[in-house]
Amino acid sequence: MLNTLIRKLSGHEPSKVTAKKRLQFALVCDKLEVNDETLNCLQNDIVEVISKYFEIDQTSLELKVKRDDDTSALVFNTPILCVRRRSRV
Amino acid sequence: MEGRIIVVTSGKGGVGKTTATASIGAALALEGKRVAVIDMDIGLRNLDVVLGLENRIVFNIVDVVNGRCNLRQAAIRDRRIENLFLVPASQSDNKDVLTTAGVDRAAKQLRKEFDYVIMDSPAGIERGFENSVTAADEAIVVCTPDVSSIRDADRVIGLLYSRSITPRLVVNRIIPEMVAKGDMLSHEDVMEVLSIDLAGLVPMDEQVVIATNTGMPLVLQNDSKAGQAFRRIARRLNGEPDLPVEVPSVKGGMWNRFTQKLGLK
Ligand SMILES: Nc1ncnc2c1ncn2[C@@H]1O[C@H](COP(=O)(O)OP(=O)(O)OP(=O)(O)O)[C@@H](O)[C@H]1O
Ligand SMILES: [Mg+2]
Repeated sequence: MLNTLIRKLSGHEPSKVTAKKRLQFALVCDKLEVNDETLNCLQNDIVEVISKYFEIDQTSLELKVKRDDDTSALVFNTPILCVRRRSRV
Repeated sequence: MEGRIIVVTSGKGGVGKTTATASIGAALALEGKRVAVIDMDIGLRNLDVVLGLENRIVFNIVDVVNGRCNLRQAAIRDRRIENLFLVPASQSDNKDVLTTAGVDRAAKQLRKEFDYVIMDSPAGIERGFENSVTAADEAIVVCTPDVSSIRDADRVIGLLYSRSITPRLVVNRIIPEMVAKGDMLSHEDVMEVLSIDLAGLVPMDEQVVIATNTGMPLVLQNDSKAGQAFRRIARRLNGEPDLPVEVPSVKGGMWNRFTQKLGLK
């Protein structure tokens, strides 16, 4: 009990507080993880849509999840070869 | 009326799935229901020893699913607790011998014969997990108050949600002294992290080890705190959803409780 009192007064946080923070962080990261299969499907879908409007270089595409400390972003990079002229419907 | 199939699962191994299955199953039978507990941990069976029925195995769940025997031949009747039946796992196969289609077929029959069917899932989220949850109407996720077990529980909860099952949580092996000191996550912490409802809270209890040593169902041990906790969980499942959840507490007098309130213990 004395130890706990000392710890309280000295401002040390109990280990469960650390555990909770770590857990909450880990669970958020876990949920942001995307597997390769999903990423591949997504890339195919994106290419299909973009190809309706642009001619793109399919060999130098790049799709990835970019992660910083507190944000996560989907980055898609593609060189455009030319714009498709579409007749309006 | 058709019986309910409840899967007990966790992701992480060794957190108390088998203990929970045996105890909740036995407790439901003591409430007067016809109960089958099914060991889905193919190749690593244990529910039989926890219930003290290991000497009476003739057929197993793989035999039932593959049509080598009928359900009545495989279900072992407990002689101490009326209406409690065990369908053991096979020890010689691996988890790939069962298919979800096969389990679903067997489940139809189980529902007809029993009020409650409790599936003891193996650890992991692979084939064995799939087979255990395929026919389930409800799920109980077991975790202990530690970081890795809670993280795995979160994963499993996600998988259950994707099957339209809203699971309830059992936090097992709670050590009240450590919770009071701030060295173990409290059940409120766990619930907050996982955003899930409770089925119940079970303290760390020597009686669990003793019950497993002797093969005597824990819920028959009247002085067992864990046994009592499981009996309350069973009542909550069986028509008393609002039965208050008892929080395992530090034993002792006023002073103990007082210092605990202050968070000094
Ligand atoms: N409340 C408790 N108090 C004390 N010991 C416990 C408690 N619950 C479980 N145990 C012990 O923990 C160990 C693991 O329990 P159990 O076999 O039920 O876990 P499990 O989740 O089924 O494991 P597996 O993933 O290997 O199937 C056993 O030795 C059991 O006696
Ligand atoms: Mg087990």
